[in-house]
Amino acid sequence: MDIYNFLLLNREILKIISTLFIVIICLLIVVRTNKLFKLSSHSGIRYFRNAFFFYGIAFILRYLGTFLSTFLFPYREIFSSICLLLFEYFIIMAGFFLFYSLLWKRFEINTRDYSSLFNPRIAIFYVMSFIIAILDYLWSTYALMYLSQIILFAIATFIIIFNNNLQKKENFLNIYSFVIALNLIMWTANFLIAYSFNWNHLGVIAIYGLNMIIFFLFLFEVWRFTEIRQYD
Amino acid sequence: MTKKRERLEVIRDILSSVSGGKSIKPTRLLYASNLSPQMFKDYVDELIGKGFIKVNKDEQEHKTISITNKGIEFLQQYRAIEKFVVNFGL
Repeated sequence: MDIYNFLLLNREILKIISTLFIVIICLLIVVRTNKLFKLSSHSGIRYFRNAFFFYGIAFILRYLGTFLSTFLFPYREIFSSICLLLFEYFIIMAGFFLFYSLLWKRFEINTRDYSSLFNPRIAIFYVMSFIIAILDYLWSTYALMYLSQIILFAIATFIIIFNNNLQKKENFLNIYSFVIALNLIMWTANFLIAYSFNWNHLGVIAIYGLNMIIFFLFLFEVWRFTEIRQYD
Repeated sequence: MTKKRERLEVIRDILSSVSGGKSIKPTRLLYASNLSPQMFKDYVDELIGKGFIKVNKDEQEHKTISITNKGIEFLQQYRAIEKFVVNFGL
């Protein structure tokens, strides 16, 4: 049996493995950045942490929708579709948090008055995520989610490279800007595989792999910059 | 025109003023911090709450402010936090 057939036959298992891998990475990032936030009370770190908290929830929901739903026959269909609706909602929201972590300084003057989870600006993202997730659900598609994330990461890539260039950083194309650009590539590839290649199985598996690489790189960067002594 | 200091920079400046075992009067720290009295009070309250500085009183009830071990550790970690914020564009 060649590698392609092996991958195709074990597609669902690979999906579960990649999902659990990402959930663990998100958990580690949340723990590391939360300690840094407690130390500094920096709002940017808080929004960054929230992004991975929401990514973690999203992938837990995907795990539940994919794996646990098989044990819930005859409610499998309903449970699975609710999980996937919530997965979409949380993943869009996580993208917004990551995006807003780059922009919050321009909008928040007295940051200590803000809750990072519930404030007027974040409420706009909640509403937008809800609308996108509901429309996708009603139209039985993922197109709006993909498009929203492509736009979001395209702008985020531009902002990071522009800011790095503005600050005249020696390596203005650092690993983080590379990971954000990789996210843009991943969402674009996901969209193309879904709608131009009719969910090509190998393409979907490649996306799982790319997703794992992206989250691993996120963790790598966070780990590298949080190698500090903690005290609580 | 000089750039407005970031919140973390203000905290670093306040802690640096009381570092090295110095215990100084609040008014002197206010001048050293270069903040408005209200903002200074907010920052000092926050730093006391975080356990980075402490208020001492002598026999005549004169107040002085000194840095705690946690504050010293924060100063040591400041560069790491700053690097994190810069690296992730936060």
